[in-house]
Amino acid sequence: MTLIFQNIRKQYGSNVAIDDVSTEFVPGLIHGIIGPNGAGKSTLINMTAGSYAVSSGAIVLDGRQMQSLKKYEIANSGIARTYQNIRLFDQMTALENLEVCYYPTEVGATWREVLWPPFGRSQRERRREACMEILRFFNLQGYASAEAGSLPYGRQRMLEIARALVMNPRVLLLDEPAAGLNHHETAELTAKLAELRSPDRIMIIVEHDMDLVMTLCDRIVVMHHGKLLFQGTPAEVQANPDVQLAYLGTANDIDEIRAAAQDRRAKLGIRARQRS
Amino acid sequence: MSAVDTPAAAEPRTRRIIPLLVFALAVALLVATPFLPNYHIRVINGLLIYILLGIGLNIVIGYAGLLDLGFVAFYAVGAYTYALLASPQFDLHLPFLLILLIAAFLGMLTGILLGIPVLKLRGDYLAIVTLGFGEIIRIVMNNVDWLTGGPQGIARLDKASVFGIEFARPVEIYFLLLVIVFTVAVLVWRMERSILGKAWAAIREDQDAARGIGINTTNAKLAAFATSASIGSIAGVIFAASQRFVSPESFTLQESVLIVLMIVVGGIGNILGIVAGATILILLPEVLREFAEWRILFLGLLMIVLIIIRPAGIVPRSFGPDKLIRGLFGK
Repeated sequence: MTLIFQNIRKQYGSNVAIDDVSTEFVPGLIHGIIGPNGAGKSTLINMTAGSYAVSSGAIVLDGRQMQSLKKYEIANSGIARTYQNIRLFDQMTALENLEVCYYPTEVGATWREVLWPPFGRSQRERRREACMEILRFFNLQGYASAEAGSLPYGRQRMLEIARALVMNPRVLLLDEPAAGLNHHETAELTAKLAELRSPDRIMIIVEHDMDLVMTLCDRIVVMHHGKLLFQGTPAEVQANPDVQLAYLGTANDIDEIRAAAQDRRAKLGIRARQRS
Repeated sequence: MSAVDTPAAAEPRTRRIIPLLVFALAVALLVATPFLPNYHIRVINGLLIYILLGIGLNIVIGYAGLLDLGFVAFYAVGAYTYALLASPQFDLHLPFLLILLIAAFLGMLTGILLGIPVLKLRGDYLAIVTLGFGEIIRIVMNNVDWLTGGPQGIARLDKASVFGIEFARPVEIYFLLLVIVFTVAVLVWRMERSILGKAWAAIREDQDAARGIGINTTNAKLAAFATSASIGSIAGVIFAASQRFVSPESFTLQESVLIVLMIVVGGIGNILGIVAGATILILLPEVLREFAEWRILFLGLLMIVLIIIRPAGIVPRSFGPDKLIRGLFGK
């Protein structure tokens, strides 16, 4: 199982947002996409999830072309995402935000659920139990019956990731999951995301928080002006002079980031699995 | 145990007493209705039909968040289905239950037919297109004389009868309505809590994010239109059977607006709210009848006040039937 970008391109009129990007994402690893503002990181995520149409090129998951599918079909083939600006179902409870994800697999049984109370009850209980488990994983069980929109910002970020996980997706796309979080929350997020690494799952994180990216990611794609500038392990990215020039800043900063990342990795007990 | 109620303990008690009182009042009214004069029973029957219409329209407006201003079209479809299949018009006299099924199906079909072209529309645009649709149906009924009798309408409809029991007198219609309204309310409430109901809520909250979790919004919305329309159509059948006369006059835009108002004033997305909203908007004009032309002003003022003090409706979405049951019978 791999997710492949084949020469994908996104154009708005004469403005080229993504220019001929080809790369490959593999399960078991956490992939990072970094780059300055406007580099096209979120556009990549949005095209993969079907929110934006691809102008040309192909997105292939497991040999299947995804770019011509409708957004809900892409979601149903195992690609889940979170949004840069949190998009929860605000007036539904935290629990309901997860339960509703069972729609694609259970809508066919709606009539039975409505007309046959015992079936309806068992259906609801099973859903609730499975979703509560995910809420507990994210320490959100206390908010289960609170309206999603009323949760503190950091909890909303977590809830959105929880929602993306309900269907046990093969591809998990996280669009700036640490945006707006404080240090404590970012550390908690980093630890949770590390636990989500699974041999059956491709994880892709777009993020500005360099600490988080360097701590967590096994592979990093660096975008610059819509083009793929460089890809490699965190160490390779940090050492690459082009990347330093385009994005990371002065050599001093890099040393600091490297040290901080090492430090946090040690604290969390994460070993970045770097494939040879 | 302390004999003095602390404020913290007193608050939940009042919260339980109000629904209890309202519920008791409603039950008393329902039990007393059969003993009232015919005129009063007719008013209550009208109220029950409006509750049925409100429950139907609420699926589209309250659950899926799509503003439909042409709901009366489905009401008309049901009423004319009964009028055409159980009257001397074409000398057809099909049994009531069969017509009820046919009308529910036809309503569903018209709901989907209206739904398909408006799938991409939301908010004001959707409201205007559905408003036009409602008017089209009424104007067609008004002009296709050979079929619908035009402005004269269709008269001398059959009495409704189910398994040999006739439902013609107001009190008989009342019992028929009671059964149908209760059944529909329970089914729709169960639908709201089903996975489809949750998908409707997700579409209402954020359509694009709903697609992002794999919801085929086209199908879910069409399901909402279809269910809602078939309930409207069922209400139309009962209306026609109780009046034993239909004409286009009963299906004006004003009716659609009245049903939307019931939902908004009562509590959008909540069956209990619709019952409350319908009760106020249908019974109050009757109670205020002696004030003649002042009553419309009165009603308008009341609505403004209600919207200001209770913007989420008299019974907000969060106080659903499950809360009422828990409030009445304890945990």
